[in-house]
Amino acid sequence: MTVTSSRTSSPDAGTAQQRRKVRWSQPFVYLIALVVVGVAVAPVGYVILGGFRTTAQLNNDPAGLPDPATLDNYRTVLTSGAFWQQVLNSTLVSLGTTLGVVLLGVMAAFVIARYEFRGRQALYSLFTAGLLFPLTVAILPLYLMLRNMGLDGSLLSVLIPQVAFALPMTVIILVPFLKAIPNELEEASFIDGATRFGFFWRILLPLSGPGLVTVGVLAFVTSWNAYLLPLLMLGGDPSSFTLPLGVQVFSTQYSQDTAAVLAFTSLAMLPALIFFTMMERHIVSGLSGAVKG
Amino acid sequence: MAHSRRLAAGIAALTSTALLLAACSGESEDPAASGSDGGGDAQVTLTWWHNGTGEPLNGYWQSVADAFMAENPNVTVDVQAYQNEELQRTLIPNALRSNDPPDLFQQWGAGELAAQVEAGYIMDVTDDVADIVDGIAAVSPWQIDGKTYGLPFSFGIEGFWYNTELFDQAGITETPETLDDLYDAIDALKAADITPIAVGAGDSWPAAHYWYNFALKACSPATLEAAQANLVFDDPCFVDAGTMLQEFLDSEPFQEGYLATSAQQGAGSSAGLLANGNAAMELMGHWNPGVMGGLTESGEIPEFLGWFNFPSIPGSAGDPTAVLGGGDGFSCSAGAPPECVDLLRFISSVDNQIAFGETGAGVPVTMGSEDAVDPILAQVLEGRNSATYTQMWLDTAYGPNVGGAMNDGITNMFAGQASPEDIVQGMQDAAANQ
Amino acid sequence: MAVTTIEAGPAEISAGPAPAAPRRASWRKWIEITVFAGPALLVYLTFVFVPVGLAAYYSVFNWNGYGPLEDFIGFDNYARALTDSVFLNSIVHNLIIMVASLLVQGPLAIGIALLLNRPMRGRTFLRLAIFVPYVLSEVIAALAWRLILQPDGAFDSMLESLGLGSAAQLWLADTSIAMWTLFAILSWKYIGLAIVLFLAGLQGVPPELTEAAQIDGATWWQIQRHITIPLLGPTIRIWAFLSIIGSLQLFDMVWILTGGGPANATSTMATYMMQFGFQRSQLGYGSAVAVILFFISLAIALVYQRTVMRRDLEGAVTTGAS
Repeated sequence: MTVTSSRTSSPDAGTAQQRRKVRWSQPFVYLIALVVVGVAVAPVGYVILGGFRTTAQLNNDPAGLPDPATLDNYRTVLTSGAFWQQVLNSTLVSLGTTLGVVLLGVMAAFVIARYEFRGRQALYSLFTAGLLFPLTVAILPLYLMLRNMGLDGSLLSVLIPQVAFALPMTVIILVPFLKAIPNELEEASFIDGATRFGFFWRILLPLSGPGLVTVGVLAFVTSWNAYLLPLLMLGGDPSSFTLPLGVQVFSTQYSQDTAAVLAFTSLAMLPALIFFTMMERHIVSGLSGAVKG
Repeated sequence: MAHSRRLAAGIAALTSTALLLAACSGESEDPAASGSDGGGDAQVTLTWWHNGTGEPLNGYWQSVADAFMAENPNVTVDVQAYQNEELQRTLIPNALRSNDPPDLFQQWGAGELAAQVEAGYIMDVTDDVADIVDGIAAVSPWQIDGKTYGLPFSFGIEGFWYNTELFDQAGITETPETLDDLYDAIDALKAADITPIAVGAGDSWPAAHYWYNFALKACSPATLEAAQANLVFDDPCFVDAGTMLQEFLDSEPFQEGYLATSAQQGAGSSAGLLANGNAAMELMGHWNPGVMGGLTESGEIPEFLGWFNFPSIPGSAGDPTAVLGGGDGFSCSAGAPPECVDLLRFISSVDNQIAFGETGAGVPVTMGSEDAVDPILAQVLEGRNSATYTQMWLDTAYGPNVGGAMNDGITNMFAGQASPEDIVQGMQDAAANQ
Repeated sequence: MAVTTIEAGPAEISAGPAPAAPRRASWRKWIEITVFAGPALLVYLTFVFVPVGLAAYYSVFNWNGYGPLEDFIGFDNYARALTDSVFLNSIVHNLIIMVASLLVQGPLAIGIALLLNRPMRGRTFLRLAIFVPYVLSEVIAALAWRLILQPDGAFDSMLESLGLGSAAQLWLADTSIAMWTLFAILSWKYIGLAIVLFLAGLQGVPPELTEAAQIDGATWWQIQRHITIPLLGPTIRIWAFLSIIGSLQLFDMVWILTGGGPANATSTMATYMMQFGFQRSQLGYGSAVAVILFFISLAIALVYQRTVMRRDLEGAVTTGAS
């Protein structure tokens, strides 16, 4: 829902620069762009292409091309139940984290941005201070707490702390967004008889769409890529592995079969890449709001 | 033992923790388990963590679990394999600290076991295994102050695994008996353009094992025993060990980039280099054939594999028949159900130990299972049984703190950044902070 | 749409609108505040503050993690950490990465963003490609690089085929090179975020300004130098802040790539904490390292905010402490 509302703010439209004539006289720019893209995607390309080779090919010529190409590695991964289980787990954890962080974050940011009360500044400082706490610092007490709560092995044991640790960034990005919504809108909605809750749900949330998408995507990517917390909390049970954990375990277990490891690795990175490709323009538009705050 | 003076506190902690755990589990666990006392057929689930991520071990432990479940229909065994370093250093310690540890888990014994026992995390199985313990070799690292806290399933000694074909190619006809022979072999291999030795210094401990072996040659058994008991390393022989290692390093026997090489992961690891014919030797424990089997393309243990004991150093102070070794075992956690002990006994049974020996992944310890061991491991077994003094891996013996500092210092020497004195100093500093 | 409205938004936190205040009873306001902010606050305090507080508590004990906390030793763990050369080196490594990131990644990312902020074919694809490394998980990226950089691996054989075989190094195994290899990989991994942030910031630069300058005959470079980059200031300062925090807390990537090795050549405060604290069953000591890591981050963040970022994030972290 927020996705459609934010589509209006396409980053490619709106700046007059675009209307300037395309300057073909600068192949230099294209050369630079090509180099940048090459450096960025070459390792990824290596991993994906490597998946189409055999381990023997990889050992003989580490930097060669598939010759002949084989689909066996990818087929093996795609037909294994473990891989799909991990995709499902990662999806559940990441979606849950995203949902939780966006919901809790926007509610807290709403209070900080649009209420006047004693302690508001302190509340804001409290949340922003969280940026200075890396998960690593708290990992041991956190682990003991969650296990003693009986949450270990459950996806919740990863989801809840991830929501907590993503809150600072979320609040910092969202507060300026919510502040920027004109007071007139709020006053008008009260005149129409809306409550604070009604204003929040029907006016504020849709208007802060780009911001919500931005924090959502950031939380999603962070959660999708998380390693240490899932390792400790879900390490006991392969049926609850997330993809990074699965990749690490797979690469240990089949370490002699480099090609299979590469195939597993490239399939594991695909979902995040696709998701991000779909969301890219929303992130840019959302960030452009946030960085001005 | 270092921890004996705190034994009383340890026992008190053990009892109270056990009571606490019993109380907790009585309340929170599956009611079927606690509701039907006396009835032997209550459903029980055992979780079992081991480090056999590769074949043949992974499949072997699963088959043991399956056989145990077939014999005990009321028991479900949930077997999990983890990468060795992750398991030993992160997963098991953290799980023990929480109130829900695995029931049966990999136990390396000695120093680390002592710390776990002192905290009351480990089940005392002394009485439960009293009838079989005498039939198992090398149990002592799994015993603290006369009580048994686990059983080994494999115990071997360290030596050089080598590629017989590459030795032939380099014209080496006899396996090295003395350190000078080894230097000659290194020179011969280099002359034939063969990497003499692979070492997984990226994992630290494989590099450290060289120092352990030199310490064993430099120090008398009495010195080593005293050092292990008191964690005091002021005998000059420990510095001598470093000097010997430095001399060995100066012969540049290792593969390129050894500081970042892992021990067991992939064809580029030290075991992988040996298994695939890219290095001629590797100093490693008895588990190495099992590891190498998982690192060749065929999945088989290479045919060319041979083994010889760490060469002697004529004129050194150490006992020439002393060997360095270690083993793998399992312990039950303090709150585990009694079926865990049944499983522990099941693993140690002669039949299962014979089957274990047949996998080639280790050296069985239960008497009566020796004959199943393949010819290479039989050499290891013979070395083990003929040694007058067996020193446990020093890092295991000294515990994670001093052991970690020791391994770190030795790795620094491999990187050219530590003197023999630095290693000993690091160990003493760590012991002071124990 | 939202983008343009936000331009009007004031950056400071001080003047939040409260039109409802006179109309509503104050208890009602507090209920609303509680209902809205309560859940977030509860989750945040329970799962961020409590564990961090516990870490601080553990840090004054000599504790191997087994058994109760009994052996109170005051600040001995702190004294020990701050006199340990490996830990001090780890701090230096964090600082090197922090400074190098600012000096190398910043200008590089600004340059690339300026280049890409012009109309050109395949711009969307370009932006996507640049962000790819950032989206990859640290585990995957580190595993891939480890394979690529192993001796005689893909990178070395690529150099070979380009006739640069002699430039091959022990990228991750040489103690004098590993740190710079790590930095290069980190730049590869995280520069995408910087570029995308700057591109987002560039969209806020009013086109009228650059057009006017163009009419006045300013060159492309003059426009960037005197108009665009100064207007990008707030974005640059926020990126720098995130980069500093990230550099100080660096863990996942290093842990999987080198584990802090070879011979501690790439150790960071966080990997030191894992290796020397937790893996050696010195949990009190590891917790002390964690607390030191936190205070170093806090000190640098405060200094940065008080000086560089005064105008951008007024009061975000500072007022709580002042």
